Parts: sequence; structure tokens; C-alpha cells
Amino acid sequence: MKKHRQLILDGIFTFATLILLFAVNLIIEIIFDTRTLIPMIFVLGVFLVSLKTQGYFWGITASLLSVLAVNYAFTFPYYAFDLISPECIFSAVVMLIVAIMTGALTTQLKTQEKIRAESEMERMRANLLRAVSHDLRTPLTSIYGSTSAIIENYDSLSKEQNLKLLGDVQKDSQWLIHMVENLLSVTRIDSSKVSLKKTTVVLEELIDSVLVKFKKRCPEQEVNVEIPDDFVSIPMDPILIEQVLLNILENAVYHAKDMTELNLKVEIKEKKAVFSVSDNGCGISPDIKDKIFNGYVSHSEAPMDGSRNNMGIGLSVCSTIVHAHGGTIHAENREEGGAIFYFMLEAEESDE
Amino acid sequence: MSSKYKILVIEDESNIRNFIETVLDANDYQTLVATTCEQGILMFSSHTPDLVMLDLGLPDKDGIEFIRTIRQTHTTPIIVLSARTSEDDKIEALDLGANDYITKPFGTGELLARVRASLRNNRPGAGAGSLPGEKFTLYDLVIDYDRRMVFIGSEEIKLTQTEYNILALLSYHTGKVMTYATIIKEIWGSADDGSIKKLQVNMANIRKKLGSKPGDNQYIINELGVGYRMNEENM
Repeated sequence: MKKHRQLILDGIFTFATLILLFAVNLIIEIIFDTRTLIPMIFVLGVFLVSLKTQGYFWGITASLLSVLAVNYAFTFPYYAFDLISPECIFSAVVMLIVAIMTGALTTQLKTQEKIRAESEMERMRANLLRAVSHDLRTPLTSIYGSTSAIIENYDSLSKEQNLKLLGDVQKDSQWLIHMVENLLSVTRIDSSKVSLKKTTVVLEELIDSVLVKFKKRCPEQEVNVEIPDDFVSIPMDPILIEQVLLNILENAVYHAKDMTELNLKVEIKEKKAVFSVSDNGCGISPDIKDKIFNGYVSHSEAPMDGSRNNMGIGLSVCSTIVHAHGGTIHAENREEGGAIFYFMLEAEESDE
Repeated sequence: MSSKYKILVIEDESNIRNFIETVLDANDYQTLVATTCEQGILMFSSHTPDLVMLDLGLPDKDGIEFIRTIRQTHTTPIIVLSARTSEDDKIEALDLGANDYITKPFGTGELLARVRASLRNNRPGAGAGSLPGEKFTLYDLVIDYDRRMVFIGSEEIKLTQTEYNILALLSYHTGKVMTYATIIKEIWGSADDGSIKKLQVNMANIRKKLGSKPGDNQYIINELGVGYRMNEENM
């Protein structure tokens, strides 16, 4: 269906271009009283059509029509066809070559573009993998160590000691769960490379679900919420966007030092849903600002306050998810202090 | 004291099985275990458990097959243990008659809450509709089925027919996830392209009238992408 429409649009473009150039030629003929420019202008037309339309069909059509037009209107005998003269056949061949070569070139360009996007994805995945294998080791070591300690010294450890070790195991496994959820999100995008499975999600329900989950993870952190009163539904993969919001909120909790206020706001601007998460913490350090979404912020660059660092992974997952939705994501420091993260998605009209 | 509830756990991962068994035993349930779908069906017919916990990814067959087989003859509650990646499986399981699902990984608190809810909902009469004079209460929300009226505290909440029907339907199945498809079928009979949107708009109105705020919906829980669930007080 979409392909069909594209074909029609391309056809309209082709004919519009040719008619326009035909008119230009007529004017040139009248003003300059010369015909030497005419074939060149048609070659330009064929080139433009081949460049802008998909495949070879319209380029070749344009070249054949151009030959006919030149033959009919601008060569002797005027306003009559003379299709058997060698001149005509030769110019037709030239036009065809231009059309086919331009078509081939643009196709190649498009493939290269695709390859570049794929290798970008590949690079991101490699970054993630590196970050993950590094970050997984710490909690795994602690889980393995704690449980071994309990098993080997069960009788000599006090109940409090046992519980403390087990508590650490629980905390570390919870952290691992979040990490794995992030990784699953990335594979989910991968497995549906062609198009994301979007459903229309009610904004209020999304935010509700995010807040319920966030409250479980960080019970002591209040979030100020501001969303439109109207019924808004947004096409998205809800599990993934939920992950994005949770990652950004959690990122603030872990990395915005001295934060007292965390805000989650959604606005509808020109049919776009703008999600923003802002805090009044320490802001984003300029050293890492440029690479905050680029995969891995290495440990030396991240704040060394003993808090676990999954910033690189969490935020790069956000970026991957938002981009897969055809949206954009940014982070900056606020003038009044603290950081603001925002991302945009196409919203549906809030009619009915 | 009455005899213990019998719970059949069908799960092929021995570690997960062990931990579920331990938790259930510690909380005074009698636990039976099976590691394959076939074995599960055999165990079910010989022991007739009160509840089944079912992993969908079993080595011999899809757990969905178990639900299909059992639902032909029994209404025993089934709780599905599902991996996060597959909402479609979740929805299929629920639509086939599973009562609830827990997403892996889960904690013991959540596990026990779901077990209690499913057992309670399977009491004779529960889920079938309302008895004369019966009222539903959840915190300060009261549904008077006879008069088709809804109150919060002593204040009456004016709902439309459809809104009331949805709320009542969810309340009949308290604690159970109702998929969008199930609700639409029960309320409107047939589904079309706009049905989900219609349901979502009605739900938005219900939330507004009940005074629910995002992050603080104490009555109806959103199961994003799956459906809705009426909350339970001790969940």
C-alpha cells in the first residue's frame, strides 16, 4: 500500500518536473532565440528525477519523455515527431544512460546509508557488551562471595551477619535484574528491526505504571508529576518507553548529588509528546556531557562515590529506544542548577 | 483446622522450582512439582490441586497447551510464570483462561499475594456475578450491585452505564488481570478497531471520577499493554 503511494508520488514528481522544464525551455527559446540549451536542461530534469524517485522506472520514463519532447518541440521538423533520425536515437541513448547511471548511484548511496546505520547500531551494541561484562562482574563477585561465606561458615556466623550478607545478595541481584531488563530492551529492538511493535498507550496509564515501579525501586524519592489533563494516547512500545523513563529517573537518583526535587513533566507541543525529567542536583559534568548517551561512560569519568555506575548503559539504552521510536533525546544543565533530560515522541491527536 | 491447599508447580528450572517450593511450604501450602507439561497434566488429574503455577517455557510442550487441556474440564486457578519479553504469550495465556501471571523475576511477597488472591477468587460463587444484596468494598470504594450505584465514602459517584459495567466487571474478578479483549467482549460483545480506544477513554473517565492520580491508583491497577486489574486491600 505504502509502496503504491510512493510510486504515485514519484510519478507526480516526474511529470511536474518535466512540464516545468518544458515551459522553461519554451521561455528560453523565446527570450534567447537559441536551442542549444534545451537538451542540457532536459538532461538536468532526467538527473533530478532519477535522484529523487525510487528505483529506475521513473528515471527511464523521464528520459524517454524528454527525448520525445525535444524531438517534438525543439528540433526540426517543429511540432512533429521524427523518430527515425539517427540524431534522435542517439540522444535517446544518452538520456537513458544518464537515467540509469544516476539511478544506480542513488541506490548505492541509499545502501551505504543503511550500512552506516547498521554499523552504528553494531558499535552501540559492542559498547554495551563491553560495559555490561565489566559491570556484571562486581555484583556477581559479591553474590558469589557472600553466599559462599554463608554456606561455609553457617554455624559460626551470627544471625545478624547472615542476614546482612543475604541482604547484600538480594540488593545485588536486584541490580542485576535491572541491568538485564535494559539488555532485554535492546534485544527487543533488534529482533523487530523492521518496525517496532507500537500500540496506542494512554499517557496517564504509562506514567502511573512508571511511578508505581519507581516507588518500589526508590521508595524514599518523591516525584513531582505534571501531565496534561486531556486524554492523550501515544503510539509506542510501552514496555520500552517505561524503561526509558525509569532509567532517567533512576539516573537522577544515583547521580544527581544533593538533589531535593525530581520532576517528571509531559507536554503536548505541535502533535509531539515532550517528556522531561529535571532535578536540582549537581548537574552533568562537562567532561561527560557529550558522551552521556553514547554507550559507555568509563568508571574513571563517572563520579567515584561508591554508588554503582550503570549510567552508561541505562542512558544509552534510552537513546537506542527513543531513536527506534523515531524520536529524539537530549540532556542539558538547567540555568537554575541541576540537569534536565527530555525526549520527544509523535503523539496522536487528542480528539474525541 | 482445614486441610492445606494443594499447589502444583510446573517449572523445569530446578532452582526456581526449589525456591517456590520452599516459600510455599513455609507458608503452609502443600506443594506438588512437575518438570514437564506431560507430567504436569498427569499430576493434575491424579491429585486435583487447588491451584497451578505454570511456567510457559517447558521442555516438551508450550505451557499454553497445559492451559488448553485443563480448561476443557476444570476451572482450577492457573498462575502463569512468564518472562518479561513476551506480552503476547501473557495475553494468550490469560485469554485462554489463565487467572493471573507473575513476571520473572519476582519476589516471594508478590508470589504469595497472587497465590492468596487466586485461591480467594476461586471460592464458590466468586467471579460468577453478584449475589442479591451483595456489596463490593475496597478501601473507601463501595459498589452496590443491587442499586447499580458506586460510592466513595458516603459520596455517590455518578458513572455512565458503560463505566459502571466496566467497574463492576473488574470488581467481580478482583485481583485478576482482565485483558483488553476480555473486557471488550464482556462489555460491548464484539470488538472493532476502535474498541481499545473506547475502553481506554472510559477507563480514563472512571479514574477521573474516582479521583485517582498517576502513581496513586489505589483501586484499579494498569497492566500496561495487557489490561486492568481491580486492586485488593492486602496485596
